[in-house]
Amino acid sequence: MGFNLDFALSTVPTIIGAIGTTLIATVLSCVGASVLGFTFEMIRRGGGATGLAVRFLIDFIRSTPVLAWLYFLYFVLPFYGIRLGAMTVGILGLSLYYSGYLAEVFKAGIDAIPRGQQEAARALSLTRRDTVVFVIAPQMLRNVAAPLGNYLVSILKATPYLAILAVPEMLGRAFDIASETYRYAEPLTVAGILFLALALLTSYGVKRIEQRLLAAGRR
Amino acid sequence: MLTQAPHPVPAVQSIPHVRIEGLNKWFGALHVLKNIDLSVGAGARIVVCGPSGSGKSTLIRCINGLEPFQKGTIQFEAATLDKDGRDTSKARRQTGMVFQSFNLFPHLTVLANCTLALRRVLLKPAREAEEIAMRHLTAVHIPEKAQAYPAQLSGGQQQRVAIARALCLNPRIMLFDEPTSALDPEMIKEVLDVMIALAGSGVTMVCVTHEMGFAREVADEIVFMDEGRIVEHASSRDFFSRAAHPRARLFLDTILSN
Repeated sequence: MGFNLDFALSTVPTIIGAIGTTLIATVLSCVGASVLGFTFEMIRRGGGATGLAVRFLIDFIRSTPVLAWLYFLYFVLPFYGIRLGAMTVGILGLSLYYSGYLAEVFKAGIDAIPRGQQEAARALSLTRRDTVVFVIAPQMLRNVAAPLGNYLVSILKATPYLAILAVPEMLGRAFDIASETYRYAEPLTVAGILFLALALLTSYGVKRIEQRLLAAGRR
Repeated sequence: MLTQAPHPVPAVQSIPHVRIEGLNKWFGALHVLKNIDLSVGAGARIVVCGPSGSGKSTLIRCINGLEPFQKGTIQFEAATLDKDGRDTSKARRQTGMVFQSFNLFPHLTVLANCTLALRRVLLKPAREAEEIAMRHLTAVHIPEKAQAYPAQLSGGQQQRVAIARALCLNPRIMLFDEPTSALDPEMIKEVLDVMIALAGSGVTMVCVTHEMGFAREVADEIVFMDEGRIVEHASSRDFFSRAAHPRARLFLDTILSN
């Protein structure tokens, strides 16, 4: 039973049909993880009891498997009356899981900003919020563009986890074809190539953005 | 006939812009500022000098609330700084600060560096903020770099932009923390020239510097610090001709012989 190219090509439309689900899950998880991660880092930086709590939360998230989070959100929350769709749980799970990592990335990006920047902002009477928005965040983004991009690609590659919740993303769809036809090589290869293409495109996009961010300070 | 004994009236002695009383600061166990008393009159030009580690930078950073302190008060016309620092933002609004390392925002153009606080703190509309910023950039002779980024400028140019940025908020008192110490020698003059012009325009300034030529030319008062104390506070002329404290004499001899 060799690799049948014609069969492989015949699976492409079905698998590509799931690309929308994969992309939506990726983009929303990226946004969710970034917003949550930045919020966590800001609260952790603020110190105090809440800061400490968030610090533990970040460590806790990073020390648990992403599958555990997905199962937990999908199967345990309903016991407490919280019923969410599979896609919602998937996006929520990936956002939470990666927020822990992104909080660490943002921390490094902020730590790398010279102290004098905050002092200059204070001396100019900028509020704490304005300092974050206009002084810290833009410089942080420049510092973290490369590692942030890596994590965004990671999130893309983590979307097949959602298959366990029967979210029809690309790898799940490929596996469905495989189970129906008992031919695994072709659909899985097609899904793999599509993921590769998406990942390369994302990396390329991230690199372009990174270059533009870096150029802004060095022109 | 003389009915009143003539008494010397210092050239500048109106209501003080800032009055520092009994200021004490510790870094942990280290007592870095010891009972500092200092009045900065309107239009005064005070140079603070002294050996490194004498507390001069810390003093100037206390004045705009960048450093908290444990004892004493710093009184502004409408705000008083003390150990609780409640009035910090009010006090800070009255001061402009120029740092040794410029601290321009690298991701913003020169113009945006200057307009940021105008827009966000003074809530000026964009047009007006830009006009004010351009006026100050022109005053420091660098209007043509308005659209440049800090990394494209020399150190001297960056420091002049930093001065313009601080002036934009129209502070009552300008604080300089060793503004030329991070500069190559050939750039020191362009920054000092701007500061001299600034002094000529009547801006109140307190300047920590080792530039004794500048001090002699511009300052009307010299404060000499050693080990956290003000050990000499005299008019510029008196300081250079007959500083009394041995530590100040030694400092002058070392600096002026170079």
